[in-house]
Amino acid sequence: MNKENLPRIVGFLCTWCSYTGADLAGTSRMKIPPTIKVIRVMCSGRIDPLFVLKAYLRGADGIMMMGCHPGDCHYQKGNYNARRRYVMLQSIFKTLGLDEDRISLWWVSASEAPRYAQVTNEFSEKIKQMGSNPLREEIFL
Amino acid sequence: MKSAQKEKKSNPQKGKILPADEGTRKAVLDFLKKSLEKSYFDVLLIPAKTPETKSYSWILLKDESLLEQADPLPPVMTVQGGNALSSITKHGDPNLRIGALMRPCEIRAAVELFKLNQIDLDNISLISIDCPGAMPLQEYMVEPDKIADSFKTISEKWEISDTLRPVCQICHRFSLASLLPSSEPESSSDQSERVLPASDLHIGLIGTENKNIFFIPVTDKGKDILEKLGLSPEDSLQDWESKVEEMRKSKLEKKEKFNQEWQNKIEGTDKFVAAFDACINCHNCMRVCPICYCQQCYFDSQFLNLSPGDYLERAEKRGALRFPLDTILFHLGRMSHMVLSCVACGACEDACPMSIPVAQIFTLVGDQTQKDFHYVPGRNRGEPLPLQDFVEDEFGEVETPSEGAEVSTEEAEKNA
Amino acid sequence: MPKALKINKSVDEGIKELLEFLIQNEKIKGVFTLKKMNDEGAVSYSLITDLDELKEAVPLYPFMPVNAGKVLSAFSLQAATKERVAAVLRPCELRAFVELVKRVQGSLENILLISLTCGGVYTLKSLNNGNLAKQLPQYWEAVKKAEIDPDIRVTCRSCENFIPHLADMTVAAVGKKDIDNECVILLNSQKGEDFALNAPGSAITEEMETADTEKLKKLRVEQKEKLFDDFDKNGVGTKAFIKTFAACLGCHACSHACPICFCTLCDFDSKSCEYQPLSFVSELSQKGGLKVPPGNIFFHLGRMTHMAVSCISCGMCSDVCPVNIPVATVFTRVGDSLQKVLDYIPGRDVEEAVPSGTYKEEEFAEVGEQ
Repeated sequence: MNKENLPRIVGFLCTWCSYTGADLAGTSRMKIPPTIKVIRVMCSGRIDPLFVLKAYLRGADGIMMMGCHPGDCHYQKGNYNARRRYVMLQSIFKTLGLDEDRISLWWVSASEAPRYAQVTNEFSEKIKQMGSNPLREEIFL
Repeated sequence: MKSAQKEKKSNPQKGKILPADEGTRKAVLDFLKKSLEKSYFDVLLIPAKTPETKSYSWILLKDESLLEQADPLPPVMTVQGGNALSSITKHGDPNLRIGALMRPCEIRAAVELFKLNQIDLDNISLISIDCPGAMPLQEYMVEPDKIADSFKTISEKWEISDTLRPVCQICHRFSLASLLPSSEPESSSDQSERVLPASDLHIGLIGTENKNIFFIPVTDKGKDILEKLGLSPEDSLQDWESKVEEMRKSKLEKKEKFNQEWQNKIEGTDKFVAAFDACINCHNCMRVCPICYCQQCYFDSQFLNLSPGDYLERAEKRGALRFPLDTILFHLGRMSHMVLSCVACGACEDACPMSIPVAQIFTLVGDQTQKDFHYVPGRNRGEPLPLQDFVEDEFGEVETPSEGAEVSTEEAEKNA
Repeated sequence: MPKALKINKSVDEGIKELLEFLIQNEKIKGVFTLKKMNDEGAVSYSLITDLDELKEAVPLYPFMPVNAGKVLSAFSLQAATKERVAAVLRPCELRAFVELVKRVQGSLENILLISLTCGGVYTLKSLNNGNLAKQLPQYWEAVKKAEIDPDIRVTCRSCENFIPHLADMTVAAVGKKDIDNECVILLNSQKGEDFALNAPGSAITEEMETADTEKLKKLRVEQKEKLFDDFDKNGVGTKAFIKTFAACLGCHACSHACPICFCTLCDFDSKSCEYQPLSFVSELSQKGGLKVPPGNIFFHLGRMTHMAVSCISCGMCSDVCPVNIPVATVFTRVGDSLQKVLDYIPGRDVEEAVPSGTYKEEEFAEVGEQ
């Protein structure tokens, strides 16, 4: 957490759905938490599990993977792959007792601006309750 | 050469002696703490104990409080310091002034890596330290307390114990600054060693009976470090130098015996091949070796992969074909790639899961090959790697045909 | 009841007799199997084509210098072999090879797969102690009694997949009291039966799974549960995980020994995973210190995301680790959970796609919609 004790959350947003949805939420002046650092990717299928790991190990308090709803992927299949990768990350983290709740996946479509606002606020609040990621200070990684 | 040495004899090298009331480890760490406090360095590179375990890792240390976990001379050499250092500047200079405290073989490896463009030394000060050797890593991992205790005694008394790693027992380059020309030149063929050392500053521990530590500036950078920290090198190094010489002589004697012993053990195809009977081709030795820096080792690549028909053909020639393939090719090939820069650090042997005496074999060969080229890896940053350099008039003996076979060009054409 | 071949020799000699028959009668060009390298117990996989060399073979020797799946992959990587060969390998090595074939890293064509009901292997270090020869009687006693030799690899002690369902022929070992005099080779497929035509020995019928193999399976599952329980109590949590890998040198011996890790240039050996200068600066200002070379935990977690789904728990990784990190235990635990979630068993069916890289349109419906 930074001086204001706000969590630092990294969001990987797919261009065609979730990023557009986030953009719409912004232009519609919806209340979105300042805690999300958005990284735009073309498709949620681009999200390499290693991106999530890298962010987590560098001390990101939360990570959000976002994409189109299953069946609506701009590239047909990308989000199906993203879904499996997310399930895999969850399984690995759960088994090892690492903070699996810090990693999340949300389907948010281009028109779902209220949903984007809702999930980001919810997740941000949840992460704030969890406290900061201890790996932020960990030297021996 | 002679007059220069005479000159240096009359102006003996000076250093700085500091008391080590709370032990040499504390004294060294205090010095490093001062260097951080006075902002001479931005960060230090030093081994530190990993939390809640008995192992050691290199850390880049910015926060002084971490010095409590640091240990300049751990009982084992986990990661070779050359590898740790090269990971930092590999993709460019981070513009941090780094004070790197490492064992002499690690310093020499770093210098070789510098010559191979794998380390940028511009912002790095290399600090070497007298090294009593290191204990076998795998033994340590099984019984850390016992091995650490042995090491404590060995390092306090500067014994050449047979519980140390074999290559450490014969290492006569345990103290870099023994290469300083202020010492009496030996009448041995090793005179070529007494040229330039490779670190910036050296910490002497031997010959102090653990009551003091010596700081010996080696380069101008080293002098600058001492001066900026208010330590003018005005003290005599006599005590330290004489002990270093003594130890060096003992080690060289042991090395002679070792060379003879190992020559007998592996000389000839049969014996050499037999030494690698248990080799599983894991390539660990290559992976931990500081000199083996290639992103993709040739012996890991697909160059050596054949079609099934080719494999069967090779198998049929001899009746059987060992898999994974090319065990001896890997070892001899790796030798041909790196043995001229082999600093005999022993990381390879520590990493071998089959306990093959890789370091001892490579040290034997490295020693001889380096002598043939009058080369000592890591002694001088400006000295080119033997295979990157040539002199037009050299090694004539390999060119001259043997007696009775001399044929002039005219004759050769007649006989054609 | 499946067909089998009975040879009135010890299991070691019996399988060698069959191999001799196959080579002599040109049914195969050669065989991949373990071969003696010296008299001190060192062995290596070898492609043997000559009958004299075959005399030095030790097919059932309880030692795994390299996972044979890797060996067969190297053999058939460029193309499927046109000449028929046989391979004697353990169930986990066979499963590893199947996983590699799924990833287009080899071909099963023209390879006669001979396996055994497996009593496990000893660790690599047991050879160094010079005790291996002395341990062999103890090993075979345990096999005969369908019990667990306590000195075998941790992964072997906990392995319930010791019955090779995909083999063409299987040497019945576990629970066979008379393996000193009798060698029974089960013929599990048409291919196996075809190759065994006219082979020395008598034709019998015998089941692969017996009361004894069931007994051993129970014991192994017990060990696995103990291993997992212990891990779940002591190895779980960020702190514990970091502690487990604290001594890691970053040598990557584990990934290079792993049969599933086939990449010629591993991601974690490549430039993409190396630190840029700014990363050092920013991490140092963030933490005050940084372990170098950096990225060991990242490497292990990353490797899990790449291969845990196909981990067949052979245990090579733990064996080659210079600092005795129980890599295989951790990866087995993670692999087991992950494989359950994805309803996948590596190596059970070569037609079954690897779960990473494939998907079902209808699955994990709850994910993402919360």
